[in-house]
Amino acid sequence: MELSKEIQQLTDRLTYIKDIFAGKHQEDINLLETRLNELKECDAQNADEMMKTLEELFNFMEKKLEAKLTPMDKVRIVRHPQRICLKDILENVYDNYTEIGGQDEHTNDPAVLIARAYITRHYGKKTYHQSVMVIGHEKGHGEEFRNGGSAKPWGNAKALHYMQVAETEGIPIHSYIFTPGGDPVEEYPGAAQQIAKNIYEMAGLSVPIVALISEGGSGGAEAFGLADKRLMLSHGYYSVISPEGAAAIEGRLKRGERASAELVERCAKNLHLTAQDNLSFGYIDKIVQEPLLGARPHHYDFFRTLRQEIIRATDEIMLTSNGFSIFNFSKLHRIQNPDTNLDETFVRWHIKRSLRSDLIEERQHKFIRMSRKSYINRQSILGALADTWAEQWREVYNRLVYDIYHRQRKNYQRLREEIEAEWLSFKRKTSKPFKNAYNKVRRIDQVAEEELTTLSKWEDEDSRKKAWTWVSPRAKEDRAVTCTNTATYGCVDLWAPDLYNEFAGVCTNCGHHFKMEYQWFMYNCFDKNSIYEFNNEWEAGNPLNFPTLDERLKEAREKTKLKSACITYEARLDGIRCVVAILAAPFRGGSVGAAEGAKLISAIDRARRKRYPLIIYSHGTAGIRIQEGTHGVIQMPRVTIAVRRYLRAGGLYLVIYDTNSFGGPVASFLGCAHYQFAMRSSNLGFAGPAVIKNTTGIDVPPDHHNCYKALSRGHIQGVWDRRDMRTNLKQALLTMGGRNLYYR
Amino acid sequence: MEKQHKVLIANRGEIAVRIIQACCKLGLKFVAVYTQEDIHSGHVKLAKELGDENSLYRISSYHDANEILSVADIAEATAIHPGYGFFAEDFRFARRVTERTRPLVFLGPSWRVIRELGDKINTKRIARSLNVPTVPGSDKPIYDESEAEKIARTLFDFQIQQGVKKPLVLVKASAGGGGMGIEEIHDIDLFRSIYRRIRNYAMRQFKDDGVLIEQRITNFNHLEVQIIADRSGKNPVHFGTRNCSIQSTGLQKRIEIAPGFAPETIRYTFDANKVMEDIIEHSLTLARKVNYDSVGTWEWIVTKEGNPFLMEVNTRIQVENGVSAAISRIKGKTGVDLIAEQIRTGLGEPLGYTQKDITFDGIGIEYRIIAEDTEHNFTPWVGDIETFSYKKAPWLSMHTHLPKVSKENPYTIPTEFDPNLALGIVWGTNLENAKQRGKEFLNSLVIAGSNSQGESLKSNIPFLLANTERILKF
Repeated sequence: MELSKEIQQLTDRLTYIKDIFAGKHQEDINLLETRLNELKECDAQNADEMMKTLEELFNFMEKKLEAKLTPMDKVRIVRHPQRICLKDILENVYDNYTEIGGQDEHTNDPAVLIARAYITRHYGKKTYHQSVMVIGHEKGHGEEFRNGGSAKPWGNAKALHYMQVAETEGIPIHSYIFTPGGDPVEEYPGAAQQIAKNIYEMAGLSVPIVALISEGGSGGAEAFGLADKRLMLSHGYYSVISPEGAAAIEGRLKRGERASAELVERCAKNLHLTAQDNLSFGYIDKIVQEPLLGARPHHYDFFRTLRQEIIRATDEIMLTSNGFSIFNFSKLHRIQNPDTNLDETFVRWHIKRSLRSDLIEERQHKFIRMSRKSYINRQSILGALADTWAEQWREVYNRLVYDIYHRQRKNYQRLREEIEAEWLSFKRKTSKPFKNAYNKVRRIDQVAEEELTTLSKWEDEDSRKKAWTWVSPRAKEDRAVTCTNTATYGCVDLWAPDLYNEFAGVCTNCGHHFKMEYQWFMYNCFDKNSIYEFNNEWEAGNPLNFPTLDERLKEAREKTKLKSACITYEARLDGIRCVVAILAAPFRGGSVGAAEGAKLISAIDRARRKRYPLIIYSHGTAGIRIQEGTHGVIQMPRVTIAVRRYLRAGGLYLVIYDTNSFGGPVASFLGCAHYQFAMRSSNLGFAGPAVIKNTTGIDVPPDHHNCYKALSRGHIQGVWDRRDMRTNLKQALLTMGGRNLYYR
Repeated sequence: MEKQHKVLIANRGEIAVRIIQACCKLGLKFVAVYTQEDIHSGHVKLAKELGDENSLYRISSYHDANEILSVADIAEATAIHPGYGFFAEDFRFARRVTERTRPLVFLGPSWRVIRELGDKINTKRIARSLNVPTVPGSDKPIYDESEAEKIARTLFDFQIQQGVKKPLVLVKASAGGGGMGIEEIHDIDLFRSIYRRIRNYAMRQFKDDGVLIEQRITNFNHLEVQIIADRSGKNPVHFGTRNCSIQSTGLQKRIEIAPGFAPETIRYTFDANKVMEDIIEHSLTLARKVNYDSVGTWEWIVTKEGNPFLMEVNTRIQVENGVSAAISRIKGKTGVDLIAEQIRTGLGEPLGYTQKDITFDGIGIEYRIIAEDTEHNFTPWVGDIETFSYKKAPWLSMHTHLPKVSKENPYTIPTEFDPNLALGIVWGTNLENAKQRGKEFLNSLVIAGSNSQGESLKSNIPFLLANTERILKF
C-alpha cells in the first residue's frame, strides 16, 4: 500500500480514538499523535520501518484502551461516523442485495433501509441462494439526510409493510437496529401510533425474525426488535433512553439546558445499557464480538464473523421450529458448534405451514418469560398457591361453560322461544273476552287523561340527581379556580366545591377538563362496592440498583399509598363484569417498569381466561420508568404480546387516555388497541414537548399533542366527556369487541 | 335581630334602589355595587346619599360571583340580596354563599329549595305527587322515539275530546330553558321529524337528548300567586294573585294587575273566585311540601274554560311585587313592603302574622315604563333621556333608578341590561277607579329625549294606555 494511504488510515484511527474517549486518556493519545507526526515528517527510507512499529503501537494502545472502555465510551462508539452502518453489512455480509425501500435520499424515510438480500451457501456440489428480507436503520457515515437513523413514523410503516411482504413470501426477516430512537413527529400517522402497530404486528409474523442491535434506543428499537433471536454487537448499547436524556431527567434540567459530561457518564453507567448487561438480564440471546474499540468498515474479519452468526441464528430458528426429528437435532448440534463453517452446511430456510403458529407462540412465550424477577412480590406463598389454583379452576370452568354449555345454548334458546310464542298466543285468545269487557267499563279518554296528568313512574329518577360516588378532596377548599381558556372563551372563575364535585372537573363555559384524581374514574364509572383489587402485593423495585431510586420509590409509596403505578382490579359496570387496569399518574408519573408490566400482563391474562372485557385507563403516564433501563423497555413488547393474545382470543380491549400520556406505553400496548378514547383536554403522543425540543431542537405548538389532534391522525377513535364516561363505557362494552366475551 | 347585619346588594337599577330603601327602613347597613356603565344610575346616587364610605364598590361585572364575594368580605357584609335576574335563582351561588369559609346569609330560599324548584321537571313531578294540576303531557324526559310518539298521539286525541279546535303539541328539550329547543306541532304526521330535530339539537346543546311532550295551550291568562314564608318554612302565607297577561310580542310583561280577576265587575265564563282560591291553595300546598322559606311566585296559566295549570315557581322576589303590596294590608295597615319582609324573615326573624292578618283592598295596576318602539316588535330605543316627569298623587307610587334629568344633564340608557326605566303603581278602590287613575297617571307622564341621530325618544306609554282598557278581561 502507498505510504500516504497508510498514514491516512492511521490518522483516521487516531481521530476515532480521540472522539470516542472525548478528552480522556490524553497521555496515550498524545503519544500516538507525536509518533504519527514524526512519521509524517521523516524521510522515505525509514518510513516503512517506522510505519510497522507505529502500527504495532496503535494495536497495543487500542488493546490497552479497550480494557478501559466505559459505557458512555460505547455510546460514543456507536454514534461515531466511522461505525459500520447497514449498507456496510449489506455489502459485506450478504452475497447480493437489491434495495427496495427507496435508494439513498430518494425514499420517504432515508433512515430506514429495506433490501432483498441473499446468502449463498455451498453444500456438496450444490449451491443454494437463500433469500432474506433485510430491514433496518441506516445511519450512514454521517450524512445528514439519514437523520441519524431516527425513523419517521412512515419509515416504520414502510418497514412493517415489507415485513408483511416477507411473510407472504415465506422468507426470514433480518432486522438491524441502528437507531438512537424514533423521530417524535406527530403526523399522519403519529410516531407512537406506528411503533405500537409495528410491535403488535411483529408479535404475530409467521416467519422467523433475527434482530441485531448495534444502537438500540428505546421505542425506535422496539419497532424492529420483536424477534425470535436477538443478537447484539459487543460494543453496542440497548437502552430505554439516551444517557443525555436520562441526565436531563435526573438533573431536572429545564428546556435548553445541557447536562454536564460527568452526569451523562454516570447515567450511562447506571442505565446498564451494554451488551454484557443485557445478556445477563436475558433480553438478548447472544453477543457478537467486535474488533477492538468497535467495528469499522475495514474490519473484514468482523463481517465474516457476523455473517456466520446471522446464518447460525436463522438456522437455529428453522431447526427448532420445524418439529422434532433426529435429523434436525443432529444438524442443530452441528450448527451450534462455533467451528463449523456455516457457508458449507445447509439448512432449508422454510417453516412448514402447520408449524408456523408454533413459531409465533414460541416467540410470544420467550418475551412473556422475560423480566420476571425484576419486581418485588410481597404475596405470601399461600396466596400465590391460591391464585394458581384459581387459574386452574378457571380453565376447567371455561371448558364446561363455554365449550360445552354455550355450544348447546342456541338450541335451548330456540326451543324456549317456540314454547313461549305458543303460550302467548294461547293466553291472548283466552283472555280477549275479559279484556274487552274491562275496556268498555273504563272510558278510553279517562285512561288518556290519567296518563297525561298524573305522576308517571320513573325508574331512573335518582340517576338524574347526579351525585358522584367519589369526590375529589379539592372540592373541600373554598377557593376560585381559573379556567385555562379564560383568555379565549372568557370563562368566569369557578368555585372549587362546584368544579371538583358536581361539575366533575369540567369548566361549564368552555368544556375544558381539569385534571382529576384517578379515583374519580375508579369509583364513579363502576357500580358501587363492586371493585375487587388483585395483585396489590406486587411492588415496583429497583432492579438496576439505580442510585436514589429506592428513596424515591419509598416517597411515592408513602405519598400515594400505592405499591406501583399500576392498579388492577375487577369491577362491574351496570352488572357487566370487567377487568380494569389503571396507570396512576401520582406514582412516579405513571411510568411503567417491571412491576407494572407484570401486573398488566396478569390482568390481561385474567381477562382472557375469564372472558371479561379489558379496560386500561391511562390516568397519565410519562412513559417507561427510565431508572429500570431495559427491564422497563422490555415491557413494551411483553405487554403488547399479552394484548395480542387477548384480542386474538376474541376480547374487547378499551383504552382511555386522561391528562398526559407519552412514551413507551402509548407506543406499544396502549397504542395498539383497536378502541382508544381520550378524555377531553388530554394530551397524548410519543415524546412530550420538552423531549422534542431537546432531541430535535424543534419548538412544538402548545396543542401539538391535544387529543383532538390524535383523533385527526387516526390514533384514537373518539374524545369523551368525563361526565359521560360511564355511559360511553357501557355503550362500548355492549357494542364493541370480539365474539368471546362472557356476556355475548 | 340581635346581630347587626350588613346586606350586600348584588344587583342594579330599580331593585337595588328598593333594597337600599328597605334596608334603611329596617335599620340595616348595606353595600351596593355598580359597574362602569351604571355610574350615573339612581342606585349609585342613593347608595352615596344613604350609605357610609364602605357602602359602594365598583365591580367589573354583575355576573362574577368571585368579585361580588370579594366585595362582601372587604365590606364585611353578612348577607347577600340577589334581587331578580343575575344570581337570584342560581342555587350554586346560594350554596356557595352559605357554605364558604366565611358564610353569608343568602336572602332568598335555601339553595336546596332553589334547586328543587329550579328544575321544571322536578317541580312538575312534585306538583303531580300533590295532585296540583299541571299541563297535560309527560312529566319525565322521554328518550324513546316510539314512546314519544305514543304520548303525542294521546295528547292530540285528548285535546280533540276536550273540544280544542286546533290541537297543538309542544316538543321541548327537557334540559333546555329560556325558549331554546322548543317547537310546536299541529299534525301528528310531522311528529317524528320534529322530534328528531329537537332531540339532536338537545344532544348538541345540552348533552342530554331527553324531550318533554306537552299540550300547547294558546288562549290563556297568566296568573301568579305571591307567597312568603319565614326561615322555619312551616307557615307560608300568600299576598294574593296577580294577572300578568298583557305582554310584549316577546312575551315580556308590560302591565300587571292585582288581584288576578275581578269577578265583581267583569263576567267570566267560569267561577273566577274559585279559580283564584284553588291556585292559592295549590301553591301553598306545594310551598309547605318543599319547606319554602322566602318570598316566591307561583306562575299559573288559566285556560278559557277556567282550568288552571301550574307552570313554574320563581324562587325570588319579582319585579311586580309592589302591585301585590299595594292591595295588601297586614293587620289592617297599608304600606306593605315585600322586599323588607323578605330581608327581615331571611335574616331569621319569624313572620309575626298569619294569613288571617292579611286582608286585601281595591285594585292595583303596575305599568312598566320602557323606552321601546311598540309598533315595531318592541325594539328597545337607545339614547339620552332629557325629560322625565309625572303628576304625583297619593294613589301612585313610582319606582325608578333614573336620576334627576334635564336637557343639560341627560341620562344615557345603558344597553347592557334589561330595559326597564320605571315602574308606576296605581291603586284604585275598584276596577273602574283604578283604570281611570291609571289613565290619569299615564297622561301626566312625560318622558322625552333623543338619540345620536337626533330622533326623539319612543316610549311604550301609548301601548300601556291602549291596554288599560282591556285589563282583567279574558
